[in-house]
Amino acid sequence: MPYSKQRRDPIEDKVITPLLELRQAREKLFSGIREGRGENGFFEKQTSIVDHFFIRSVQESSIGRKLFSARKPFSLIALGGYGRGELCLRSDIDVMVLFPSSLPKEAKMLTEEIILPLWDLGMEVGHCVRSLKDCTRLSLEDFEVFTSLLDARFLCGESPLYLHLRHLIEKKVIPKNAAAFARWLDDRNKVRMETFGDASYLLEPNIKEGIGGLRDYHQILWLSKVFFGLQKPRDLEYSGRLSHSQYASLSDETLFLSRIRNHLHDLSGRKNDRLGFQYQEKIAERFGFEDKESYPAVEQFLGRLHTAMSSIKSLRLSFAASYILRGCDEGSWTHAGKIHDGLRHEGREIGFASVTAILSRPGLLMSLFSHIAECGCRLSMEARRLTTEFHYLANDQYQSDPDNIKSFLEIIKGPYCFSALIQMHETGMLDAFIPEFGRIKDRVQFDAYHIFPVGIHSIHTVKNLKELPNEKNLILLDIMNDVKDHDVLYIAALFHDIGKIGKNHAERGSAIIAAILERWSYDRKKSEDIVFLVRNHLLLVETATRRDLDDEKAVVQCASIVGTVERAKFLYLLTWADSKATGPSAWNSWISNLIQELFLKILHIIEKGELASPDAQARNIAARNFITARSGANLSAEKVSAFFEKMSPRYLLYTRPSLILRHQNMADELDKAKSDGEKMPFRLHAEPDGDIQGCWEVSIIAPDRAGLFSEISGVLALNNINILSASIYTWLDGTAVDIFKVSSPLDSLDPNRTWEKVKLDIKQVFSGRLALDFRLGAKAGGKMLSGHKTPPKPPRVIVENNSSDFFTIIEVFADDRIGLLYLITSTLSSLRLDIRIAKIATKGDQVADVFYVLDLEGQRIEDESRLREIQNALLHRVGSSVQRR
Amino acid sequence: MKKIEAIIKPFKLDDVKEGLSSLGVKGLTVSEVKGFGRQRGHKEVYRGAEYQVDFVSKVKIEVVVESDLLSDAVKIILERSRTGQIGDGKIFILPVEDVIRIRTGETGKDAI
Repeated sequence: MPYSKQRRDPIEDKVITPLLELRQAREKLFSGIREGRGENGFFEKQTSIVDHFFIRSVQESSIGRKLFSARKPFSLIALGGYGRGELCLRSDIDVMVLFPSSLPKEAKMLTEEIILPLWDLGMEVGHCVRSLKDCTRLSLEDFEVFTSLLDARFLCGESPLYLHLRHLIEKKVIPKNAAAFARWLDDRNKVRMETFGDASYLLEPNIKEGIGGLRDYHQILWLSKVFFGLQKPRDLEYSGRLSHSQYASLSDETLFLSRIRNHLHDLSGRKNDRLGFQYQEKIAERFGFEDKESYPAVEQFLGRLHTAMSSIKSLRLSFAASYILRGCDEGSWTHAGKIHDGLRHEGREIGFASVTAILSRPGLLMSLFSHIAECGCRLSMEARRLTTEFHYLANDQYQSDPDNIKSFLEIIKGPYCFSALIQMHETGMLDAFIPEFGRIKDRVQFDAYHIFPVGIHSIHTVKNLKELPNEKNLILLDIMNDVKDHDVLYIAALFHDIGKIGKNHAERGSAIIAAILERWSYDRKKSEDIVFLVRNHLLLVETATRRDLDDEKAVVQCASIVGTVERAKFLYLLTWADSKATGPSAWNSWISNLIQELFLKILHIIEKGELASPDAQARNIAARNFITARSGANLSAEKVSAFFEKMSPRYLLYTRPSLILRHQNMADELDKAKSDGEKMPFRLHAEPDGDIQGCWEVSIIAPDRAGLFSEISGVLALNNINILSASIYTWLDGTAVDIFKVSSPLDSLDPNRTWEKVKLDIKQVFSGRLALDFRLGAKAGGKMLSGHKTPPKPPRVIVENNSSDFFTIIEVFADDRIGLLYLITSTLSSLRLDIRIAKIATKGDQVADVFYVLDLEGQRIEDESRLREIQNALLHRVGSSVQRR
Repeated sequence: MKKIEAIIKPFKLDDVKEGLSSLGVKGLTVSEVKGFGRQRGHKEVYRGAEYQVDFVSKVKIEVVVESDLLSDAVKIILERSRTGQIGDGKIFILPVEDVIRIRTGETGKDAI
């Protein structure tokens, strides 16, 4: 061993020890990284700096010299990542001191002399002292040792010793280890999956150990060393194990990951391989990603990272599956298996019969995947490569070819749809066939809510639906069984986020999916459903979390958008699958409670048909237009909107626009009266009915309170006014609107005198100066019923909760007479019920009255005994008055 | 110092949050919770089959304020979370002994 003179610093005149030299060189290299320069060749540079340290240290070591002169030769060998020459900033450095046979007692001192100083620099150094025999024994026993030796590299000392080691590994160890090693890797990958997850779509991936991380690249190298005797990574291409483009992409992607790892080590100040949220923005910036409109730099960076990791993952998977796990060695690498219809089936794998088959029948690129979706097999390594290389064939014409579209729809239908879609995604075939998908697939949202990039998320949404039969939720299962066209659902699931290239993605996506379905000449009605689902896939979640589900109007609005029972079910299933594929915080029992409640309310409203029907919507629009046109300059568009906001759905549906306008004016007056301090204000308006001769239409509006309707109907009875029909509504701001159609007897000469009397009476009743019960009772002896000819029929009363999710409904059928309505409503009022809506109709001499009521706390009446009490009370009051007559 | 715990309807959260911030409340804790009160659970019916829902989804807000801010804060929560219907929720007020900001070790009102 030559003796080199100690180096001295010429300026400070002090000894430059190897350690000092190492420290200075590392500091220079590291500061370069932070300042964004010197990143080229970083890994080689750091390796050579460390190499240099070891070589000098051994040269200058007195113990080393003693060992050599005592004829106890050794060699210093780099292992693991250091052996491969890929040292990141804070990577472990593993070295081995190798002796031919016995280990001399100086060996320990040697390592202490060389290695311990590195610890003072904060470097993580692993070291061992072994004999050749130790190496063979340990690498047969322990695959960790085996892999570290596969990457061994000679540093200094006795080179023949190193050659000897290489010879032993190649001839003695590898042949014995190979098969078990492949299995061990397989097991380890399962552990990796459990521990670190599939990093190719995690938000905080482990760059090294996660599936898709650098470890996958290492495994490809190890396998190629063990099974094919390859030495350098580049040999993968030279030997034809990987195509040029596969190799190029592998080395680019691993370099990308190593660079990220480097910056991660720098930013976290320690050996850290998990790309936590706190580092992502900083690293994206260092990599030169820039914010674009609605696509932040960090999301672009994560998208790029996931592409890299999923490409490494899929290459490792297919490399291992095709070459190794199948037990296919050098000799038998010939085409075998059954050929059918241009495709080759081989065990659990599927591929192309030949390259020429693809060129003559490009449709095979699609039917390959429809086979996978049908029988669940996986792509062979070669087929994976060929698909990646030939998917350029999927041009415009290819994308609209009926056969290819048929294959795609078969994929969607197939039981192994998920597996087929994932492999299409990995090979790029999915983007090639549907270029619109390629634009969104790698988009990531930088938050803890979305756990997958958009492409994987979309495929998982389909998967959730396919696997729904395993769900425990019974309602979901029932609904899934009730919808007929599952394809609509799967296609909508795959494309629901297709618009995620900017803001308002649901609306944007509906246009994109419409174009895709047009290209496919897909069934028109189903296309409409799919477009609807894509456009509204957020409707349920948004409504459930942002609107009051106890507010019928909010639910009716939502139901009008949904329109049909089938679509409501589709939407519910899609919402569930989408949220579940978004992440654990997007779907939990809390949100599922809310969405299920909303869904069922929507469903019931649509099934009833009344409020959310297309007709109801048309009326709503017509009324709005009428009011906008009539009010002209007096009302701003916002005021009209605000006014419509407080209308109740039924009021809008059943009231003619001109009357709505009238009520709006009355409401304004009422507001004024209230602010002027008028007590118990109300407004009454009466006009002759346009349709029926001799009939009048009376509107009364007042702030709602329990008993209001009963008092008004009592006053009408008192004035001998016969109510033919009535509707009462409560606006959402608490204004009650009562509309009556009444017949005479009126003062036919001066009808307005009657109305002035009615107004006065109402005022008196409201202020407590007129006792209705007493006055009506006094009248009852006379002719409270006028002109009753047929014998009385017993009344009928129904009280039920099934027809509405929002109200208890009471129906009363009885013989008509003046005062009847007062009788019924005052009974309801004494039962502490609040009448929110009522429809009073007269047919011949029979009335059919329907009341939508709530208790004074605003809830439906659920208590069975109370429901019976209501029924009995009504029967008694209405019936006994009949008797008494 | 008092701690206010309010259980409210989910869709009222933004209103209440805004109201409290306008009062100068600097931080609050929000959780998605389930439970029942007067509103009980309810039965949901799908095609004739009944599904019992025992707990209703609500949002819980927790906020600690100085005592002189308490009545305003409570008033704002009341105004902003009321629909007048059952199920509007409840407000609990608890005394707080002390508050410590972990980062700086500050205590008392400085730490709120």
